[in-house]
Amino acid sequence: MAQKRVLPQSKETLLQSYHKRLKDDIKSMMDNFTKIIKTAKIEDETQVSRATQGKQDNYEMHVRASNIVRAGESLMKLVSDLKQFLILNDFPLVKAIDQHNQQLRALQEECDRKLTALRDQVSIDLYQLEEAYYSSSSSLREANNLSLCEAYWRLDLDTDAADGLAAPLRASLEPSAGPLQSAAPAHSHASGPGPTEHA
Amino acid sequence: MATYSLANERLRALEDIEREIGAILQNAGTVILELSKEKTNERLLDRQAVAFTASVQHVEAELSAQIRYLTQVATGQPHEGSSYSSRKDCQMALKRVDYARLKLSDVARTCEQMLEN
Repeated sequence: MAQKRVLPQSKETLLQSYHKRLKDDIKSMMDNFTKIIKTAKIEDETQVSRATQGKQDNYEMHVRASNIVRAGESLMKLVSDLKQFLILNDFPLVKAIDQHNQQLRALQEECDRKLTALRDQVSIDLYQLEEAYYSSSSSLREANNLSLCEAYWRLDLDTDAADGLAAPLRASLEPSAGPLQSAAPAHSHASGPGPTEHA
Repeated sequence: MATYSLANERLRALEDIEREIGAILQNAGTVILELSKEKTNERLLDRQAVAFTASVQHVEAELSAQIRYLTQVATGQPHEGSSYSSRKDCQMALKRVDYARLKLSDVARTCEQMLEN
Protein backbone atom coordinates (compact mmCIF):
# COMPACT_ATOMS: atom_id res chain seq x y z
CA MET A 1 0.00 0.00 0.00
CA ALA A 2 1.50 3.37 -1.02
CA GLN A 3 2.18 5.70 1.87
CA LYS A 4 0.50 9.07 1.76
CA ARG A 5 3.14 11.58 0.71
CA VAL A 6 3.35 14.85 2.54
CA LEU A 7 3.29 17.59 -0.08
CA PRO A 8 3.63 21.28 0.50
CA GLN A 9 0.32 22.88 1.29
CA SER A 10 0.19 24.80 -1.96
CA LYS A 11 0.79 21.69 -4.07
CA GLU A 12 -1.79 19.66 -2.23
CA THR A 13 -4.32 22.49 -2.45
CA LEU A 14 -3.59 22.80 -6.15
CA LEU A 15 -4.15 19.10 -6.80
CA GLN A 16 -7.36 19.16 -4.79
CA SER A 17 -8.56 22.11 -6.83
CA TYR A 18 -7.81 20.17 -10.02
CA HIS A 19 -9.89 17.29 -8.69
CA LYS A 20 -12.77 19.60 -7.82
CA ARG A 21 -12.67 21.27 -11.22
CA LEU A 22 -12.77 17.89 -12.93
CA LYS A 23 -15.81 16.76 -10.92
CA ASP A 24 -17.67 20.03 -11.47
CA ASP A 25 -17.06 20.11 -15.22
CA ILE A 26 -18.05 16.48 -15.75
CA LYS A 27 -21.18 16.97 -13.65
CA SER A 28 -22.10 20.11 -15.56
CA MET A 29 -21.71 18.35 -18.90
CA MET A 30 -23.80 15.36 -17.94
CA ASP A 31 -26.57 17.40 -16.24
CA ASN A 32 -26.94 19.87 -19.07
CA PHE A 33 -26.94 17.11 -21.67
CA THR A 34 -29.64 15.09 -19.92
CA LYS A 35 -31.72 18.23 -19.36
CA ILE A 36 -31.54 19.06 -23.08
CA ILE A 37 -32.73 15.56 -23.94
CA LYS A 38 -35.62 15.90 -21.45
CA THR A 39 -36.56 19.35 -22.72
CA ALA A 40 -36.76 18.02 -26.28
CA LYS A 41 -39.79 16.00 -25.27
CA ILE A 42 -42.96 17.73 -26.46
CA GLU A 43 -45.65 17.82 -23.79
CA ASP A 44 -49.32 18.14 -24.60
CA GLU A 45 -50.35 20.11 -21.54
CA THR A 46 -48.49 23.35 -20.91
CA GLN A 47 -49.18 26.24 -18.55
CA VAL A 48 -48.49 28.82 -21.24
CA SER A 49 -49.22 28.77 -24.91
CA ARG A 50 -47.32 26.44 -27.13
CA ALA A 51 -45.43 29.21 -28.84
CA THR A 52 -44.27 30.63 -25.53
CA GLN A 53 -43.30 27.22 -24.25
CA GLY A 54 -41.41 26.58 -27.46
CA LYS A 55 -39.54 29.87 -27.11
CA GLN A 56 -38.70 29.11 -23.52
CA ASP A 57 -37.45 25.64 -24.37
CA ASN A 58 -35.40 27.07 -27.21
CA TYR A 59 -33.73 29.60 -24.92
CA GLU A 60 -33.14 26.97 -22.24
CA MET A 61 -31.50 24.66 -24.76
CA HIS A 62 -29.25 27.47 -25.96
CA VAL A 63 -28.14 28.19 -22.43
CA ARG A 64 -27.54 24.51 -21.61
CA ALA A 65 -25.61 23.98 -24.84
CA SER A 66 -23.44 26.97 -23.94
CA ASN A 67 -22.90 25.44 -20.52
CA ILE A 68 -21.75 22.19 -22.11
CA VAL A 69 -19.29 24.09 -24.30
CA ARG A 70 -18.06 26.09 -21.32
CA ALA A 71 -17.54 22.91 -19.33
CA GLY A 72 -15.62 21.41 -22.26
CA GLU A 73 -13.38 24.45 -22.48
CA SER A 74 -12.80 24.34 -18.75
CA LEU A 75 -11.75 20.69 -19.09
CA MET A 76 -9.28 21.65 -21.82
CA LYS A 77 -7.81 24.29 -19.53
CA LEU A 78 -7.56 21.69 -16.78
CA VAL A 79 -5.68 19.32 -19.09
CA SER A 80 -3.32 22.14 -20.00
CA ASP A 81 -2.67 22.88 -16.32
CA LEU A 82 -2.06 19.20 -15.66
CA LYS A 83 0.47 19.07 -18.50
CA GLN A 84 2.29 22.05 -17.07
CA PHE A 85 2.26 20.57 -13.58
CA LEU A 86 3.56 17.28 -14.93
CA ILE A 87 6.43 18.92 -16.78
CA LEU A 88 7.47 21.04 -13.83
CA ASN A 89 6.90 18.70 -10.91
CA ASP A 90 7.16 15.13 -12.12
CA PHE A 91 10.13 13.79 -10.19
CA PRO A 92 11.19 10.96 -12.56
CA LEU A 93 11.10 13.46 -15.44
CA VAL A 94 13.33 15.86 -13.52
CA LYS A 95 15.81 13.03 -12.91
CA ALA A 96 15.71 12.08 -16.57
CA ILE A 97 16.75 15.58 -17.66
CA ASP A 98 20.29 15.09 -16.32
CA GLN A 99 20.61 11.73 -18.02
CA HIS A 100 19.33 13.23 -21.25
CA ASN A 101 21.88 16.04 -20.97
CA GLN A 102 24.71 13.55 -20.52
CA GLN A 103 23.60 11.46 -23.47
CA LEU A 104 23.32 14.47 -25.76
CA ARG A 105 26.76 15.74 -24.71
CA ALA A 106 28.28 12.31 -25.29
CA LEU A 107 26.74 12.18 -28.76
CA GLN A 108 28.02 15.65 -29.57
CA GLU A 109 31.56 14.80 -28.42
CA GLU A 110 31.54 11.63 -30.48
CA CYS A 111 30.40 13.53 -33.57
CA ASP A 112 33.14 16.12 -33.11
CA ARG A 113 35.77 13.47 -32.50
CA LYS A 114 34.84 11.62 -35.68
CA LEU A 115 34.73 14.87 -37.65
CA THR A 116 38.23 15.75 -36.44
CA ALA A 117 39.55 12.35 -37.50
CA LEU A 118 37.76 12.75 -40.84
CA ARG A 119 39.28 16.18 -41.30
CA ASP A 120 42.80 14.84 -40.76
CA GLN A 121 42.23 11.99 -43.19
CA VAL A 122 40.64 14.21 -45.84
CA SER A 123 43.43 16.82 -45.63
CA ILE A 124 46.00 14.11 -46.40
CA ASP A 125 43.95 12.79 -49.33
CA LEU A 126 43.20 16.30 -50.56
CA TYR A 127 46.90 17.15 -50.67
CA GLN A 128 47.54 14.14 -52.88
CA LEU A 129 44.53 14.93 -55.05
CA GLU A 130 45.67 18.52 -55.52
CA GLU A 131 49.14 17.41 -56.55
CA ALA A 132 47.71 14.98 -59.06
CA TYR A 133 45.23 17.53 -60.39
CA TYR A 134 47.62 20.45 -60.82
CA SER A 135 50.45 18.36 -62.20
CA SER A 136 48.20 16.77 -64.81
CA SER A 137 46.44 19.86 -66.10
CA SER A 138 48.96 22.63 -65.39
CA SER A 139 50.45 22.37 -68.88
CA LEU A 140 47.06 23.05 -70.46
CA ARG A 141 46.40 26.20 -68.51
CA GLU A 142 47.84 29.67 -69.26
CA ALA A 143 50.61 31.09 -67.14
CA ASN A 144 48.48 33.89 -65.70
CA ASN A 145 45.68 31.50 -64.83
CA LEU A 146 47.68 29.52 -62.31
CA SER A 147 46.42 28.81 -58.82
CA LEU A 148 47.90 30.88 -56.06
CA CYS A 149 49.94 28.01 -54.67
CA GLU A 150 51.35 27.17 -58.13
CA ALA A 151 52.30 30.80 -58.76
CA TYR A 152 53.94 30.92 -55.38
CA TRP A 153 55.96 27.78 -56.04
CA ARG A 154 57.07 28.96 -59.50
CA LEU A 155 58.20 32.32 -58.25
CA ASP A 156 59.93 30.71 -55.37
CA LEU A 157 61.96 28.59 -57.81
CA ASP A 158 62.70 31.50 -60.20
CA THR A 159 63.74 34.20 -57.73
CA ASP A 160 67.02 34.37 -55.73
CA ALA A 161 66.96 32.81 -52.26
CA ALA A 162 68.45 36.04 -50.80
CA ASP A 163 65.20 37.94 -51.53
CA GLY A 164 63.45 35.78 -48.91
CA LEU A 165 59.78 36.61 -48.41
CA ALA A 166 59.84 39.86 -50.41
CA ALA A 167 59.63 38.12 -53.78
CA PRO A 168 56.40 36.23 -53.14
CA LEU A 169 54.91 39.39 -51.71
CA ARG A 170 55.97 41.40 -54.76
CA ALA A 171 54.67 38.66 -57.03
CA SER A 172 51.35 38.62 -55.22
CA LEU A 173 51.17 42.39 -55.41
CA GLU A 174 51.98 42.67 -59.15
CA PRO A 175 49.02 40.75 -60.52
CA SER A 176 46.72 42.56 -58.14
CA ALA A 177 48.21 45.95 -58.99
CA GLY A 178 47.03 45.53 -62.59
CA PRO A 179 43.35 45.29 -61.77
CA LEU A 180 43.69 48.09 -59.23
CA GLN A 181 45.34 50.35 -61.79
CA SER A 182 42.62 49.58 -64.29
CA ALA A 183 39.97 50.23 -61.66
CA ALA A 184 41.47 53.52 -60.49
CA PRO A 185 41.15 55.40 -63.84
CA ALA A 186 37.62 54.03 -64.19
CA HIS A 187 36.83 55.35 -60.75
CA SER A 188 38.33 58.74 -61.63
CA HIS A 189 36.28 58.79 -64.82
CA ALA A 190 33.20 57.94 -62.83
CA SER A 191 33.90 60.52 -60.19
CA GLY A 192 34.89 63.17 -62.72
CA PRO A 193 31.46 64.21 -63.87
CA GLY A 194 30.15 63.98 -60.33
CA PRO A 195 31.54 67.18 -58.85
CA THR A 196 30.86 69.09 -62.07
CA GLU A 197 27.26 67.95 -61.96
CA HIS A 198 26.92 69.05 -58.39
CA ALA A 199 28.52 72.31 -59.24
CA MET B 1 15.99 7.55 -20.97
CA ALA B 2 13.19 5.16 -20.04
CA THR B 3 11.83 7.65 -17.53
CA TYR B 4 11.92 10.33 -20.21
CA SER B 5 9.80 8.20 -22.50
CA LEU B 6 7.45 7.43 -19.62
CA ALA B 7 6.93 11.14 -19.05
CA ASN B 8 6.36 11.62 -22.77
CA GLU B 9 3.80 8.84 -22.67
CA ARG B 10 1.91 10.68 -19.95
CA LEU B 11 1.95 13.84 -22.04
CA ARG B 12 0.69 11.86 -25.04
CA ALA B 13 -2.09 10.43 -22.86
CA LEU B 14 -3.11 13.96 -21.88
CA GLU B 15 -3.15 14.97 -25.53
CA ASP B 16 -5.41 11.99 -26.30
CA ILE B 17 -7.74 13.17 -23.52
CA GLU B 18 -7.87 16.59 -25.16
CA ARG B 19 -8.88 15.01 -28.46
CA GLU B 20 -11.50 12.95 -26.69
CA ILE B 21 -13.00 16.08 -25.10
CA GLY B 22 -13.36 17.51 -28.60
CA ALA B 23 -15.06 14.28 -29.70
CA ILE B 24 -17.42 14.53 -26.68
CA LEU B 25 -18.58 17.97 -27.76
CA GLN B 26 -19.00 16.76 -31.31
CA ASN B 27 -21.14 13.81 -30.14
CA ALA B 28 -23.31 16.15 -28.07
CA GLY B 29 -23.75 18.41 -31.09
CA THR B 30 -24.73 15.48 -33.30
CA VAL B 31 -27.32 14.29 -30.77
CA ILE B 32 -28.91 17.74 -30.49
CA LEU B 33 -28.89 18.13 -34.27
CA GLU B 34 -30.60 14.78 -34.66
CA LEU B 35 -33.23 15.75 -32.08
CA SER B 36 -34.01 18.92 -34.01
CA LYS B 37 -35.06 16.95 -37.10
CA GLU B 38 -38.67 16.01 -37.72
CA LYS B 39 -37.82 12.39 -38.43
CA THR B 40 -35.15 11.31 -36.00
CA ASN B 41 -32.90 8.36 -36.63
CA GLU B 42 -33.27 6.59 -33.30
CA ARG B 43 -30.41 4.22 -33.81
CA LEU B 44 -28.00 7.02 -34.56
CA LEU B 45 -29.36 8.96 -31.61
CA ASP B 46 -28.85 6.06 -29.22
CA ARG B 47 -25.42 5.33 -30.57
CA GLN B 48 -24.25 8.93 -30.23
CA ALA B 49 -25.75 9.30 -26.77
CA VAL B 50 -24.05 6.11 -25.55
CA ALA B 51 -20.77 7.28 -27.09
CA PHE B 52 -21.12 10.62 -25.32
CA THR B 53 -21.70 9.01 -21.94
CA ALA B 54 -18.88 6.50 -22.38
CA SER B 55 -16.42 9.19 -23.47
CA VAL B 56 -17.31 11.43 -20.53
CA GLN B 57 -16.77 8.59 -18.08
CA HIS B 58 -13.52 7.61 -19.75
CA VAL B 59 -12.20 11.19 -19.62
CA GLU B 60 -13.14 11.43 -15.95
CA ALA B 61 -11.38 8.17 -15.13
CA GLU B 62 -8.22 9.10 -17.04
CA LEU B 63 -7.94 12.56 -15.55
CA SER B 64 -8.54 11.20 -12.04
CA ALA B 65 -5.73 8.70 -12.59
CA GLN B 66 -3.39 11.47 -13.77
CA ILE B 67 -4.20 13.61 -10.74
CA ARG B 68 -3.66 10.60 -8.46
CA TYR B 69 -0.27 9.93 -10.07
CA LEU B 70 0.75 13.56 -9.66
CA THR B 71 -0.24 13.44 -6.01
CA GLN B 72 2.20 10.56 -5.57
CA VAL B 73 5.19 11.80 -7.54
CA ALA B 74 5.05 15.58 -7.33
CA THR B 75 8.20 17.22 -6.00
CA GLY B 76 8.29 20.01 -3.46
CA GLN B 77 9.90 22.63 -5.67
CA PRO B 78 9.48 23.05 -9.41
CA HIS B 79 12.70 22.09 -11.15
CA GLU B 80 14.93 24.59 -12.94
CA GLY B 81 16.97 22.22 -15.10
CA SER B 82 16.89 22.28 -18.83
CA SER B 83 18.25 20.14 -21.60
CA TYR B 84 17.89 22.89 -24.20
CA SER B 85 21.56 23.91 -24.42
CA SER B 86 22.88 20.36 -24.76
CA ARG B 87 20.16 19.57 -27.30
CA LYS B 88 21.11 22.64 -29.35
CA ASP B 89 24.81 21.70 -29.23
CA CYS B 90 23.99 18.17 -30.35
CA GLN B 91 21.83 19.49 -33.20
CA MET B 92 24.69 21.71 -34.35
CA ALA B 93 27.10 18.75 -34.24
CA LEU B 94 24.71 16.72 -36.38
CA LYS B 95 24.40 19.63 -38.80
CA ARG B 96 28.21 19.74 -39.05
CA VAL B 97 28.24 16.03 -39.87
CA ASP B 98 25.60 16.53 -42.58
CA TYR B 99 27.55 19.41 -44.06
CA ALA B 100 30.78 17.37 -44.09
CA ARG B 101 28.91 14.54 -45.81
CA LEU B 102 27.58 16.97 -48.43
CA LYS B 103 31.02 18.37 -49.18
CA LEU B 104 32.56 14.90 -49.38
CA SER B 105 29.93 13.85 -51.88
CA ASP B 106 30.79 16.95 -53.96
CA VAL B 107 34.48 16.01 -53.91
CA ALA B 108 33.66 12.43 -54.88
CA ARG B 109 31.50 13.67 -57.74
CA THR B 110 34.31 15.95 -58.94
CA CYS B 111 36.82 13.10 -58.83
CA GLU B 112 34.48 10.88 -60.84
CA GLN B 113 34.04 13.61 -63.46
CA MET B 114 37.80 14.05 -63.72
CA LEU B 115 38.25 10.32 -64.18
CA GLU B 116 35.60 10.22 -66.90
CA ASN B 117 37.28 13.11 -68.72
